[in-house]
Amino acid sequence: MEYIVGVDIGNSTTEVAVAKIFKEEQNIDFISHGIYKTTGLKGTIDNIEGIIRSLNSALKKVDLNYDDIELIRLNEATPVIGDVAMETITETVITESTMIGHDPWTPGGIGLGVGYTIKINNIDSCTAGDDVILIIPGDVDFADAAEIINKAIGRGVNVNGAVAQKDDAVLIVNRLDKQIPVIDEVKYIDKIPLAKKAAVEVARPGGTIEKLSNPYGIATIFELDSEDTKHIFPVARSLIGNRSAVVIRTPEGDIEERKIPAGKITILGDRGKSEIGVDTGADEIMDSLEKIQPIKDVTGESGTNVGGMLDRVKKTMSTVTDQPLSEIKIKDILAVNTFVPKKVTGGLAEEHAMENAVGLAAMVKTSQLPMQKIADRLEEETNVEVVIAGVEANMAILGALTTPGTEKPLVILDMGGGSTDAAMVTSKDKVYTTHLAGAGDMVSLLINIELGLNDLKLAELIKENPLAKVESVFHIRHEDGTVKFFDQALDPKLFGRVIILADDEKVPIHSDHSLDRIRQVRREAKNDVFVRNAIRALERIIPTGNIRDIDFVVMVGGSAKDFEIPTLISNRLSEYSVVAGSGNIRGVMGPRNAVATGLVLSYLETEGSVING
Amino acid sequence: MQLNEDAIRQIVVDVLSGMSDQGSNSETKSYSPDRSGNMVLRETGRASEGRDNDEVVIAIGPAFGNKLSKTMIDVSHSEILREIMAGIEEEGIKARIVKNYITADVGFMGHQAAKISGSGIGIGLQSKGTILIHQKDLNPLANLELFPQAPLVDLATYRQIGKNAARYAKGENPEPVTTKNDQMARPKYQAISAVLYNKEVKYLDADKKVVEVEVSFK
Repeated sequence: MEYIVGVDIGNSTTEVAVAKIFKEEQNIDFISHGIYKTTGLKGTIDNIEGIIRSLNSALKKVDLNYDDIELIRLNEATPVIGDVAMETITETVITESTMIGHDPWTPGGIGLGVGYTIKINNIDSCTAGDDVILIIPGDVDFADAAEIINKAIGRGVNVNGAVAQKDDAVLIVNRLDKQIPVIDEVKYIDKIPLAKKAAVEVARPGGTIEKLSNPYGIATIFELDSEDTKHIFPVARSLIGNRSAVVIRTPEGDIEERKIPAGKITILGDRGKSEIGVDTGADEIMDSLEKIQPIKDVTGESGTNVGGMLDRVKKTMSTVTDQPLSEIKIKDILAVNTFVPKKVTGGLAEEHAMENAVGLAAMVKTSQLPMQKIADRLEEETNVEVVIAGVEANMAILGALTTPGTEKPLVILDMGGGSTDAAMVTSKDKVYTTHLAGAGDMVSLLINIELGLNDLKLAELIKENPLAKVESVFHIRHEDGTVKFFDQALDPKLFGRVIILADDEKVPIHSDHSLDRIRQVRREAKNDVFVRNAIRALERIIPTGNIRDIDFVVMVGGSAKDFEIPTLISNRLSEYSVVAGSGNIRGVMGPRNAVATGLVLSYLETEGSVING
Repeated sequence: MQLNEDAIRQIVVDVLSGMSDQGSNSETKSYSPDRSGNMVLRETGRASEGRDNDEVVIAIGPAFGNKLSKTMIDVSHSEILREIMAGIEEEGIKARIVKNYITADVGFMGHQAAKISGSGIGIGLQSKGTILIHQKDLNPLANLELFPQAPLVDLATYRQIGKNAARYAKGENPEPVTTKNDQMARPKYQAISAVLYNKEVKYLDADKKVVEVEVSFK
């Protein structure tokens, strides 16, 4: 009887399995396991600390020492690392006057008003019958403004709408004798051209504007011909969905959506080479990628975000492995379309527009990581014999097969932080593997930029946990609508907020995004990365190329523990009548510990017939 | 910062000179035509529990507006209350004002206001300018948002505080109002703050309890 330890160094966690071996009976009894975050980059000597901590926690549970251990089996880690970057590819520019996308929180009044712009101080120059839109600078008090407007209306001037600099719209309208639409929070009010025809529209609460978001509505108001209507179309489009809007017509005024030159990437494949601009969007990039699969290398135009990111991953890998930079190749990229809130150039109200962007994940693979160095060092530290045993994919399959209800042929999807790896074992024990760019880190990036959080830690929390809305001090409503009550009052900091239900704490999200919006962004990001990669992986790995030819898909790795990623993938794969689900290693471990388990199991086998277990 | 006795004496004199000598019921008072310092407070009897859930109750200190008229940085009570009320109104919520004669503690005032507020949201406002947003179910010593460094709160911030209180009342998720922080504010204003608070406490009147106040700006 002896004790054996399996150690798996992953991109984000280091896992350990401890087992008792009965050699005669050819029997293995797993007695403990440990987990700790991987210290340093996978495959470097820095990993030792994480291994030791993970090992110690596992041994402590069963009261064992290093002396009791016969052998430590270390995985031959796949030398794969990934990185992510983002490139904005459109830019909205206003050359004059129009306020697009400006949607103040509380516009005042209701309806559509058309007239010529005039400053409120100059209202006395108007005569009865004039149609005007008043411009109200911040130094005019709301009560004064209301009084001036009432007086003007009283002497017959048609004040049809107003634009205010401060957040005063409701206050002004509440003091008027006549309902007019008022838009507020226009920061650069001085820049609004005067004596020009303008239209102000405010919809009822909960509604959206109808006239100014319709190009023919604008054409009607400003008496435009067909040529000008074509010109005004981007304005109308940018106002769709707003509760309020101002459009001012000047001969020079214009908005346009410019494409930003975002750099090119060059994909070198076995079947040729393809050069493609990032600004063509994610779909184009992925199409050309699939066409020249398998990939030999990818390079990016220098001086662009994408070029910088691709260089960075290569450099990191080259440092880790001590191989010359020229030998490091990028083996896969994943491009995803996304939106970034960006300030509109030339905007009068500091308005933001959702600009198109492309998120890119890249993955590099080299021939080998310097695992022997780690093994030697670990032996020094523990005084236990350490061997490097088995390829990661084979070990993962071996571990995954301990999930109750599985059988060969089987595919495992190992979904980690940096890359999505897949391995397939056929009924004849042949193993195929593939590694794809894009995993958990990519999802965090997409959530971070699309919600404009500027806080990657918070984005990660949003990724990993469900949301809830704190509706009173004593109850919250979960994202599925169910309510949970508390006996103790919740922290006042959480009151009214959308919160993240992390393991042991509730984290408030300070933003104007609704719970539904955050949830939608989170699920879309997971779909774009994981569901897409699951399909890509299966299509590559299955010898026939037909997903229907396999029966079982077992998801393992950190992201398989996620509360919704496995179900998103299962749903999609059920279309191919594939049984897909999150693994349950040894029937108890869930999707964790597959490789460490495999390492121990393979001890009884000879290396060649590893899969027979 | 060292404060000698003379300095404190001077501050006390300054504060006292800032107090109006008018009585509480100022119906007969005449107003100056400009907008600052022309708030009229009329007490209309015991404050009741609100039933409208579109209201935010503002509890002002016993000396606010009539016994004292300025905060410790000489901003008029009239302007402050007007900005808070404007913030609430801009969000489509109603503001109700009560005067608390039981306590001059900002936390308990705010909590008392929240308890009689139909929306469960209340604001506590002391004469020296310290303000907080409270919710009825919270512990009195807790709060939703507290602005302890009153000398650093400007009128725009008071407006924003009113807006946020209204947005809590609507069940929204407002970003907390950002406040400035100054390490020197405490030593610099501690004495005057204490003097103003002591002044306010003098006007407590357990018999009057909490009274409804009608506010008009002329």
